Formats: sequence, structure tokens, C-alpha cells
Amino acid sequence: MERQASEEAVSIGQRITEAISIRTVFTIRLFGNEIPISDTVIGSWVAMAIIVAAAIAVTRRLRDVPRRPQAIAEAFVEFADSFACGVMGPAGKAYAPFLGTLAAYLAVANLLPMLTPIGGFGFEPPFEIKPIMRDINITAGLSASVIAVVLGSSIAKRGVLGWAASLLKPVAFMLPFNILEYAIRPVSLALRLFGNILGAFIIMRLIEALVPIGAPPIAGLYFDLFDGVMQTVVFVYLSTIFIGEAIHMEEAHE
Amino acid sequence: MNETSIALIAAGVAVLSGVGAGLGIGIATGKTAESIARQPEASGKIQGIFFIGVALAESTAIYGLVVSLILLFR
Repeated sequence: MERQASEEAVSIGQRITEAISIRTVFTIRLFGNEIPISDTVIGSWVAMAIIVAAAIAVTRRLRDVPRRPQAIAEAFVEFADSFACGVMGPAGKAYAPFLGTLAAYLAVANLLPMLTPIGGFGFEPPFEIKPIMRDINITAGLSASVIAVVLGSSIAKRGVLGWAASLLKPVAFMLPFNILEYAIRPVSLALRLFGNILGAFIIMRLIEALVPIGAPPIAGLYFDLFDGVMQTVVFVYLSTIFIGEAIHMEEAHE
Repeated sequence: MNETSIALIAAGVAVLSGVGAGLGIGIATGKTAESIARQPEASGKIQGIFFIGVALAESTAIYGLVVSLILLFR
């Protein structure tokens, strides 16, 4: 009896291990190097393709009096503009396209897994979309691009020397902490997104394995829909604040 | 005790980081409710700060989760 229970537990653990593992689908050979393409990379290409296709479809025939798809797109762009300007002031409008793209990509990538049918009782889902943010390389890439924009905007605002001087503010003693901040911020951004999405994914797998009827759709509303949207909002909000701090540091300290 | 069982215990201990995140989010929520009750017209701004604070407090729990996952799926 006990042995059976432990075998059951092992099988759930094995299923979860298999679910979160990242497969290499194919390899590209380029100049003698082998570049492995994993399924998370392909998932991210799918998310990009959806966004690009939607953007092309919406902006194909623009009119002065917008129809419904164009009105939705205009509302999204206006919202990104007003959000960036609300946090960073008038200078934020230049960063609105970057932040809006980030938000659209994260939202599509986090919400796509909701389309997976729930299996159980011998029913095998015909296809399965796993969250691509379970790969730490993808979240690390996103946070690296954010910190590159932060650094770039700070240097563009006050020049290389001005940026180096800003590391010594408010007092020269703060130099190591200011440098550390540039390392800690992207790491915490990447780990937060990765951990939240992976944690929600594992919990959903546990619920599906233990209570396959009734519970998964309701729990999915919280773990997939709410958590996915929440992590999108948090990631974009924190990037906006970081960029805003980088452009406004002088006013804040003087 | 072999290596696997020690790693399992360590994974459990790593999840204790959730205590700190829970305390932090609880304090933040309580203070947010207090300040919205005092100044309902500022609720939008307060909620923005609240979300950021909760995201930062929660990240300690996420670090614990990541460490325990590393220990579990060595």
C-alpha cells in the first residue's frame, strides 16, 4: 500500500519534471557552430508572429474615422503613451513604443498557454502550449534588454562622464552600491518573472494531477490569467520606473 | 542520510522564505487599506505603490522557490 503511494508520488514528480524540461527541437549550423533551438524559442517566435500579424492587419488601411480594430490599436498606443508619460513625465513618450512592445509580448506569451485543453481520465490533449517564460534564458534576455535601455537612456541624457559622475551620487561612498544596483535589478526582474510563471505552471500541473475535474479551470483563472497579467504589469511597471529613475536622477538628488 | 534526503530537507527549508514575503505583503496590504481609508481620493496612486511593493516583497519568496527547485531538480 505504502509502496503504491510512493510510486504514485514519483510518477507525479516525474510528470512535472518532464513538463518543465526544455526540449531542443532542432539545431541550426552556422559557421561551424551549432545553435540549438529549443521549444521555448519557437514559442517566443509564435508570440512574435501573432503580434506582428496583428499589427500589420490593424494598420493596413488606416482611416481618419477609425473602425473597431484600428480604434483598439489606437487606444493601446494612447494608453502606452499616457502610462509612460504619467510615470516619467513628458520625456517618457520616447520610451512608450519599447514599453508597449514589451507589454504586448509578455501578455501574449503569458496568456497563450491558457489555450491548452485540460487532459485527464485517459483523455490526452491533442496539443499543448507550455509557458515560454519557464525558460530562464528568455526572461534573462528580456531583463537584459531593459537594463540596456536604462543604461543607454542614462548615458544619452548626460553623456558618459555625466553617467560616471551619477554613480557617485548622492555621496561617493555609494559607488559600489550604485554599481551593484545595475547587476541586481536585471537579475531580480528575470528571476521574478521566471519564478512566478514556473511556480504557477507547476501548481497547475499538481492540481490537474490531483483533482482533474472541476478545480483546474477555476484555479487556472487565478494562476494562468491573473498571474500572467499581473506579472506583465509588474515587469513593465518596474522597467518604467527604472528608466524613469535613470532619466530623472539629477533632479531627484539635487 | 544520503544526499537526496538532505537536498529534500534543504528544499523544504528554502521555502521558509515565504514567511518573510507573507509578513511583508500583509503589512503592505494593511497600510494600503489604512491609507485608502484616510484618503480615498488618492487610491489610484496608493494602489500603484502597493503593487510595486508587493512585487518586491514577493520576489524573496520567489528566490526561495527557485532555490528549492534547483535542489529538487538537481
